[in-house]
Amino acid sequence: MNAAKYKSLGDPELISLCLKGDSQAWESLILRYRRLIFSIPVKFSFSPSDCSDVFQSVCLRLIEHLGELKDESKVSGWLITTTTRQCIHVRAQKRRETSTEDEFEEPTDPAENVETVRIQTQAEQNVREAVEQLQERCRKLLELLYFDPKDPSYESIAQTMQMPVASIGPTRARCLDKLRMVLRRRGIREK
Amino acid sequence: MDHISAEELIDYVDGHISDAARNPIELHLAECGECAELKLEIQSLVLQLQADASHEPPAELVQWGNRLFQPLAQPSTGARLRKLVAALVFDTLDQPMLAGVRHAGTAARQLLYRAGDVDVDVKIESMESNERITLVGQVLATSTKFLENTPVKLESHGMTRFKTTTNLVGEFSFDEVPKDTYHLSVDLPEGQITLFCVHRGNS
Repeated sequence: MNAAKYKSLGDPELISLCLKGDSQAWESLILRYRRLIFSIPVKFSFSPSDCSDVFQSVCLRLIEHLGELKDESKVSGWLITTTTRQCIHVRAQKRRETSTEDEFEEPTDPAENVETVRIQTQAEQNVREAVEQLQERCRKLLELLYFDPKDPSYESIAQTMQMPVASIGPTRARCLDKLRMVLRRRGIREK
Repeated sequence: MDHISAEELIDYVDGHISDAARNPIELHLAECGECAELKLEIQSLVLQLQADASHEPPAELVQWGNRLFQPLAQPSTGARLRKLVAALVFDTLDQPMLAGVRHAGTAARQLLYRAGDVDVDVKIESMESNERITLVGQVLATSTKFLENTPVKLESHGMTRFKTTTNLVGEFSFDEVPKDTYHLSVDLPEGQITLFCVHRGNS
């Protein structure tokens, strides 16, 4: 099975393959959810090192819980809850480590903030999944324009996409409009 | 009144239009609620896509995540040893902190894994002073009394770093090993149980 085929599989199929020892299925799962996991400690304003620690812990937990998740239609909900909990744990641990006995530590109720993080993270994941539903050319263009950490120039994008630089703007507008339509069809409107 | 097309609005939001084209769009947006709403929708979508670039984890971290699975990957032809992923059934990290309890040193983490009818109990103690951990545990089977003389390994970065065997009552220990991400594996006649439990950030 090639990478594109794995990409098209749903979460239950990927998990089922993981449980049979298929490492490519695991890589596809990590690829699918890497930004979702990493975005949560970023939202908690954690340092890069703490963001990495949370990412690693959640990957470990995902492996540990694969058996329980095999019947879940979407892993995103579980990942959002698990990653948020891990962030709260890290934040509480850091607070305890830095507080002194003399300080009065006001118990905080982060519930409201956590709910905002959850809603925002799910909305972002909806957009990522909608991008995945676009045709190859549009998806590739949007990935290069918005997701590529190397932030490629228009010239470099034009070369990769084999299109004139002048066509990037209009093509991007068409692709974003298609993305908007995908989200609307799925009943999700960006506000 | 003709509405502004979504493509024109996307160019407008992105700032990819001439000054001459901008003015009529802004005049229209001030009067047309429908187009103003569409502009907000597009703006939010573009902002979300732009923000997502900062959510990209470093490539080496993603590679680390991918490699995590290696101990479980089955060889393409004839695996001689059945590999079992142990399910985590208890973790002190999942337990809520007691109200009013303040931090008093680094607490040990206790985990219980189950694979088939075998339980593996693990306790990890972290020593902040020397960046080391001590890991003790017990392998218990419900069908037999104790699993003695069972090989237990701590693996990381694709190789076995530490080895030991269980004692008469199925206990094992790894004393003051450097903090790292380890896979703990227990070799049993029916297969190899792999646990993912030791991690520098959460131990």
